[in-house]
Amino acid sequence: MKILSDVKVLEVAHSLSGAFCAKLLADQGANTIKVEPPGWGDPARREPPFINGVSDPEASSIFLAFNTNKRGITLDIEQPQGRELLLRLVSNADVLIESYPPNHLEGLGLGYEVLRETNPGLILASITYFGQTGPYRDYIGSELVVQALGGFLHAVTGSADLPPMGTALEQMEITAARNGAIAIMAALLHRQQSSEGLHIDLSTMESVVSTPSGLIHPYTFTGRNPKRGGSDGNVMDGMHLPTKDGEVTLTTAGTGGRAMEAWAEFLEEPRLLDQKFSTRISRLDNWEELHNLVAPKLSTWNNLDLMREAMARGLVIGLVQSPQQVLDSPHLVERGYFVEINHPQAGSLKYPSPGFLMDEENPMDGSKSAPTLGEHNAAIFGDELGLSVEELSLLRASKVI
Amino acid sequence: MPERRILEGIRVLTLEQVHALPWGTSFLADLGAEVIRVESLNHLQDRKAGPFPDGHPSKEWWNEGGNLAYFGTRNKRSLCMDVTAPKGKEAFLKLAQNCDIVTDNFRPGTMERFGFGHENLTPLNPKIITLSSTAFGYTGPWRRAGSRARTVDASCGMSYLTGYEGGPSQRASNNYMDHSVGNNVAYALLLALYQRDKTGKGMRIDLTMQETGVSAIGPAILETQRGISRPRLGCGHLWKSPHNVFPCRGYDRWIAITVSSEEQWQQLKHAMEEPDWATDPRFDTAQRRWQNRHALGEYISDWTRTQDDHELMDHLQNHGVAAGAVLTAEDLVSNPHLNKRNYIQEFENLNAPQAGPRKYAGRPFRMQDISFSIRSVAALGEHNLETLRDVAGLSDKEIGALISEGIISTQPLPTEPHP
Repeated sequence: MKILSDVKVLEVAHSLSGAFCAKLLADQGANTIKVEPPGWGDPARREPPFINGVSDPEASSIFLAFNTNKRGITLDIEQPQGRELLLRLVSNADVLIESYPPNHLEGLGLGYEVLRETNPGLILASITYFGQTGPYRDYIGSELVVQALGGFLHAVTGSADLPPMGTALEQMEITAARNGAIAIMAALLHRQQSSEGLHIDLSTMESVVSTPSGLIHPYTFTGRNPKRGGSDGNVMDGMHLPTKDGEVTLTTAGTGGRAMEAWAEFLEEPRLLDQKFSTRISRLDNWEELHNLVAPKLSTWNNLDLMREAMARGLVIGLVQSPQQVLDSPHLVERGYFVEINHPQAGSLKYPSPGFLMDEENPMDGSKSAPTLGEHNAAIFGDELGLSVEELSLLRASKVI
Repeated sequence: MPERRILEGIRVLTLEQVHALPWGTSFLADLGAEVIRVESLNHLQDRKAGPFPDGHPSKEWWNEGGNLAYFGTRNKRSLCMDVTAPKGKEAFLKLAQNCDIVTDNFRPGTMERFGFGHENLTPLNPKIITLSSTAFGYTGPWRRAGSRARTVDASCGMSYLTGYEGGPSQRASNNYMDHSVGNNVAYALLLALYQRDKTGKGMRIDLTMQETGVSAIGPAILETQRGISRPRLGCGHLWKSPHNVFPCRGYDRWIAITVSSEEQWQQLKHAMEEPDWATDPRFDTAQRRWQNRHALGEYISDWTRTQDDHELMDHLQNHGVAAGAVLTAEDLVSNPHLNKRNYIQEFENLNAPQAGPRKYAGRPFRMQDISFSIRSVAALGEHNLETLRDVAGLSDKEIGALISEGIISTQPLPTEPHP
């Protein structure tokens, strides 16, 4: 029995943050229904790349990755009949995750007050780029726009002498989703005590700001306005350096303050002991020279050998692994990290799991794939809400489902 | 309405350092759990990490750092005790007996060596939840390796995917992974508490930084299994264009503009007052705008370069275009949206009056009458007496012996260097 098997979640989100948040709950066993508009479905279904190389609303990699363990229905909540059906689902749900522009649900007669009347214990999680209040509330956001407005682009990655650069693969949507899962768990525990639901107002922009610790309070403590470029010329603590079969990033951590001695010994390069490499600042000043000593030595190593030997000596390094190297990693394979899930169109694929084992078990063992569009219409509208075959076909004809 | 403390009555005992785990337990502390952070009398790296008021640590530097208030001992208790001394170890086990959760982020094996492993604690406290947050977990060939947030970015695949268009891979962030892992820690602990309420059983959680990182690049993990690789595109996008940052007036000022549909492209053209170049057939479909994105970027840059980033953002947003100024820390502190939402919290740490009031980032969510603000910041050893007396059940005499033997303290050892 999975931890959240007694929790019913409705996702009416059409956003990556909402989808990933619902996935975090679904992967722990929450009975999660993804509600998609009929016809097109979640816009993520149209996002390339497609896993089989051809455009297919059932095989977008991001849709598959963000929607495991959910059941899927189609429902046009903008139509009165659709609205009524959603309310019937809400009356029996614990959590509703939505990401419409603020006030959109109110406009449909589905605002928090109405939902609460239907189900006083409902936890409504509204995950939007800018939150439900404030001057940017109605602004249009995107992953890159919130990386910009959240301070990530200016300061976190990239080079000082080049334009701001972002972090790959929708990380801000994921950060918002992780915060959402914490807030929802807090609300579920709160409800056990008070039996009251809650409305969670979660802003993706604020999730971005709270994520790097180098912004707000360091500025107000020191007046320092951090800027990107922390790895520029930083041979020992930032740059990526080539190995025989990949790349690695070194650190001076774990050496008890004797970093250059430790690395000189490891790389068998006594010239690293030169005074001009002895401090962080002097290494930056002489970085090209340092690079010319370190890089040729590293290029003689294979990634996995380098990792094993560095680990044996207590040195902390990071292999810059490609997704394929991650997938093939003997370490992750031994830990049973990837779970294999079959999908009718996309086929069998290995999926990442949440990042923790509970009593040595992977919570995602036995997982199901993302739903196909409307896959569970008959099961949920028919078997669970009790609609007849005739009613269902009428709803289909009027494009409510 | 009074503020609710959802986790009132829950006790967390934590041996934590650096960033990820202290960030994770700070959420539980916000929610009212009694989080007892056990700190040593030396190796006080976290208290040396600052940032210090106006950049200068004072003589009593150990209670001043801004990171302490942001997550280190935020809403927590501090017990400064040498757990490697026999009496310290004994007191730790007595505390663990009366706690709900024990967390650590040592390398695997350290807790067991101290006698604080899950197997050691369950006979004393059968309902105990333990969580170890490590680089690579308790099993597998890399279990003995350490990490920093940046090396996790590398080993999980994220840095490989990060870089300017056509350029080499770059580290994905500075401490993004610390925060993601901390969030995952908080989520896992709340799940474990939820489970224990139902079953009455504790559990053992083996949480890893690398695996948390891999869970954030799911699409790329799926794609590589079918031979699809993602190019590095800087601020660019796999198929959207324009989708980038463009220069604005002033030093290092930029605006992010992203166009996701034909409608938004028409709105952007309208916002630019329908320039002639925009009718160029190279830009007349989404696919051609992507293929000719560099030429398109130059035209847009020529238009943005003379404009103020904030005014331009408002102008574009008023035309229905997703746009955002590239904000600095200084911009964020005075940002009208964040301030209107009371996101930024001003807080004065009573344990460091010399620091005065300073501003901190808030939590990104609001829930009626549940507060997530900073209420207190524990000074080193501030809660020695009450935790040992009330939680471990030690007598005044036993506590007196711990003080006189130098096992507990409210100050670093004299040998601990000034930061």
